[in-house]
Amino acid sequence: MTLTYAFFPGCTLESAAEELMISTKKVAEALGIELIELNGWTCCGASHIQDIDNFLSTSINARNIALAESLGVSKLLTVCNTCTLMLRTAKLKMDKNERLKEQVNVGLDRAGLQYKGTVEVTHLLWALLEDYGLENLKKKVTVPLKGLKVANFYGCHIVMPPDVMGFENHRNPQSMEMVAEALGAECVEFDQRLACCGFHAVFPAQKEVMTMTGINCLSPKEAGADCIVTPCPLCQMQLDAYQPDAQKRFDQDITMPIIHLPQLIGLALGISPEELAINRHVVDAIPALQRKLQLA
Amino acid sequence: MEMMTVKIKRFDGRNSYYQKYEVPYEKGKTILWLLTTIREEQDPTLNFTSACRHAICGSCAVQINGNAFLACNTPLDDVLETYKTMNLTFEPLKNFEVIKDLVIVWEPKMEKMTKVKPWIIPGEEGSKEIGFLQSEEDFQQIAAPTDCILCGVCASECNQLAVNQDGYLEPFILNKAYRYIVDTRDGAPEQHLKPVLENDLWKCLHCMQCVSQCPKTIPLTDQIAFLRSATMAMGELDNQGAKHAYAFHDDVKNKGRLNETMLPIKTDGLVQTALTKIPFALRMVKKGKINPLHMPKQISGIQEVRKLYEYAEEVKS
Ligand code: SF4
Ligand code: SF4
Ligand code: SF4
Ligand code: SF4
Ligand code: FES
Repeated sequence: MTLTYAFFPGCTLESAAEELMISTKKVAEALGIELIELNGWTCCGASHIQDIDNFLSTSINARNIALAESLGVSKLLTVCNTCTLMLRTAKLKMDKNERLKEQVNVGLDRAGLQYKGTVEVTHLLWALLEDYGLENLKKKVTVPLKGLKVANFYGCHIVMPPDVMGFENHRNPQSMEMVAEALGAECVEFDQRLACCGFHAVFPAQKEVMTMTGINCLSPKEAGADCIVTPCPLCQMQLDAYQPDAQKRFDQDITMPIIHLPQLIGLALGISPEELAINRHVVDAIPALQRKLQLA
Repeated sequence: MEMMTVKIKRFDGRNSYYQKYEVPYEKGKTILWLLTTIREEQDPTLNFTSACRHAICGSCAVQINGNAFLACNTPLDDVLETYKTMNLTFEPLKNFEVIKDLVIVWEPKMEKMTKVKPWIIPGEEGSKEIGFLQSEEDFQQIAAPTDCILCGVCASECNQLAVNQDGYLEPFILNKAYRYIVDTRDGAPEQHLKPVLENDLWKCLHCMQCVSQCPKTIPLTDQIAFLRSATMAMGELDNQGAKHAYAFHDDVKNKGRLNETMLPIKTDGLVQTALTKIPFALRMVKKGKINPLHMPKQISGIQEVRKLYEYAEEVKS
């Protein structure tokens, strides 16, 4: 079985979270998933462009989706919550509103493209559950993550708003737990499981967001987690790269390693931390992982 | 008989504690039924508010197992199904002061709401004699925002409010401001908009909690995008929020992708960046997360992307 997806990496994977690009590709290869990167994709707007121009925000994402449609695949896959939300928002708006769709297509026509609405936008997390299947994933596990206590930090945009995302109940999603458990890891319960990382306002609301980061690290730490796992590179960046700044606002030690979902999967598939670029995080995650796992 | 364990956060004006009740499960009931049953059959001292029982008065919202719900229109079965449990924990709404048990104080919120002048400031077009007429289409603009029942669910769930109670406006206050700004009978939208901008409009985290939980499905985050656009249209461009948004907008137009190395400088300016973001940048460079020499190349198809920008301009005008 080979699953084929059009792949939308998003800017973060190209620059600040290249380790997610590396680990996603490694894991896809190991699982036999084919990812065809869109040629000429643009930034999704990251929840900012609609503040300037809503129609433009829809148009650039319609273009991204149209690029996927021209590949003849049925799904466009991302590994970023916010990319997924932006793309799905544009799609839903056009699919619900024929007039808007036509108007967007007038612009796309000048760019030699057409948005038809034939491609679905998904996230790796969902694709694993929906298309790949947990049973198949389990069969690929060579190093069960036994004893590793993970804190699943969903990030808001993988579940909300539910009319756009809709994969699972936004008040109590379970997809991350299902994947982590299939890999043999133990999921800890913690208050901030569904919290916001604050990334999208880290500039204008720096003070508030740093406080949130501290709380988001402390909560799983107190629950005994070895690391946080997140399906979103923006959450990862906020919680990891800004952690030293957040620490300054707290007396207690907030240290908490933060890894990407594909990195967790990769470990269970027997891929080494270096190959998954886990060594690239600001808060070193490797010692915590080594304490619990026999790493490749 | 199947029993539910209901823990309720009590507050007597001085101390707060959790009290446990065992309630026999019944199918097809609402959350408000559960609270009423406890009060009528087990504990007459339990305080909560409700009135209309039809999602109109907005008085019955509470937190259950970490999320805010309107008690009268929420099926008990949905909540049990959501949390896959027979154990429910009730708390008063967050980000409100509590009077007693589940009862919260609204006065300070109403006081705060006056900041945005939640009333029509009449324009030139109307008068006492001819009235203030609106077309059907004009009316539709205020139809959704006027659905707000002031239940407080959005405020309870707002992540910015949780860390910035004094500075930020409750989403329902933003909704109220929006409602008057888009009302064609209002002659001074900037008088509603200015206070919105001054009260940390750009600190909204875009977390989507408010819009996801509102029992009236008011498009709160679309409204926030609108409010931001409106402040920029008013010429309010010299702030971090607007500059940050324009950094994305312009990068996509120029290259197709974001230039993360330049983002702090475009948002904060060079001096502020040097003061606050340098340690961050060095950390990122050291770990190989940011390559300062990596400048995104133009994507293939950038000319086409620019055509979309041109077209969006045409659509606007
Ligand atoms: S959300 Fe971030 S990563 Fe996703 S495309 Fe947009 S800017 Fe890039
Ligand atoms: S937690 Fe933050 S970055 Fe992550 S998805 Fe939510 S708002 Fe976006
Ligand atoms: S906006 Fe929605 S959630 Fe907020 S107070 Fe009004 S009805 Fe309640
Ligand atoms: S999207 Fe903004 S206003 Fe709504 S809950 Fe989040 S921070 Fe608050
Ligand atoms: S009792 Fe009036 S809204 Fe619930």
